[in-house]
Amino acid sequence: MKLKATIEHKPNIPTASMADIAFLLIIFFMLTITFEVDKTQVVLPKTTLRYEIPKQSAYVSIDPNGRIRVSDGNEQSALVSAADEVLSMAAGVIAMDPQKVFVVKSDGEVSWDKVDEVIDALKRAKVRDVYLLSDQRTVTDG
Amino acid sequence: MRLDRDRPDDEIPTSSMADIAFLLIVFFMITTTFTATRGLDFALPEDDDDPPVVEKEESVLIEILPTGELIVDQDPMQLHEIIPYLQPKLERNPKKPVIIRPDTATPYKYMVQVYDELRQGEDHGLAEPINISVPTQREIQSFWY
Repeated sequence: MKLKATIEHKPNIPTASMADIAFLLIIFFMLTITFEVDKTQVVLPKTTLRYEIPKQSAYVSIDPNGRIRVSDGNEQSALVSAADEVLSMAAGVIAMDPQKVFVVKSDGEVSWDKVDEVIDALKRAKVRDVYLLSDQRTVTDG
Repeated sequence: MRLDRDRPDDEIPTSSMADIAFLLIVFFMITTTFTATRGLDFALPEDDDDPPVVEKEESVLIEILPTGELIVDQDPMQLHEIIPYLQPKLERNPKKPVIIRPDTATPYKYMVQVYDELRQGEDHGLAEPINISVPTQREIQSFWY
C-alpha cells in the first residue's frame, strides 16, 4: 500500500485585514463625532421644513421648567437666571463675530412668553440668523 | 561557511493592533450621541428704533390661543385652511405681512407649527414666500399701542 505524504496545515483565521477595517471605523467615528455644547433634555417641536444648522453655532436652550442655558458654541452651556443675561452673552458673541448663528433649542411645551423673551433678547443683541431647533415632522404626526 | 538556520523571521507583532483599534471603536461608539442638528431658520429683522408702521388692517393677523386654536382675522380656522385663505389676498398684494401673534401662555410648539406651515406657502401654490412677522411682546407694546 502506498501512503501519501500528508502536509499538515495549521488552522488559522486570517486577521491581517482586521486592523484595517477597525481603523477605517475609527476614522469614520472621529470624523462624524460632534461634541454637544448643550445637553439639555427637551422634546423639540416638529416641523416639515428643516435646514442644516452650521457647526459651532451659539445655543440658547429652554428646558421644560423654563430654565435658560446659553453657550457661545465652543463652551458647555451654562445656566442663566434671566433673559437679560442672554442679551449680554449674545451681544458679546456678536461683537466678536457679527455673522454668528444662534440656535433656539426649546421644549415644545414651554409657554411662548419664555421663548419670546429669548428671541427679543437676541433681536436686541443684533443677532441676524436664528434657527429654531426641531425634529422631523412625519405623516403619522398628523 | 556557517548557515544560521534558527534565525527568527523579521516581523512586527500586529496581533494586538486589532485589540487596540476595537477598544477605540468601542470608545467612539459609546461617546457618540446622535443629536438633532437641523431646524427652521428664523431670520430676525433689524432691530430698528423706528420700524415701518404696519397697520393691522393691511396685514393678516394669526392669533394662537393657549389651546392651539387659531384665530385668523377674528375667525377661527384650522391650520390647513390658512394658506387657501391667504392665497387671494397675497395674489393682490404678495408683500402683505402675515403676523403671527401667540398668546403668552401658548405652548411654543403651536407657534412653530404655524410658522412651519406659512413657510411652505410656495409648496402650496403661492408665487412668493410669505412675508411673515412674529413681533415680540416688547415690540407689540412699543409700536402697536
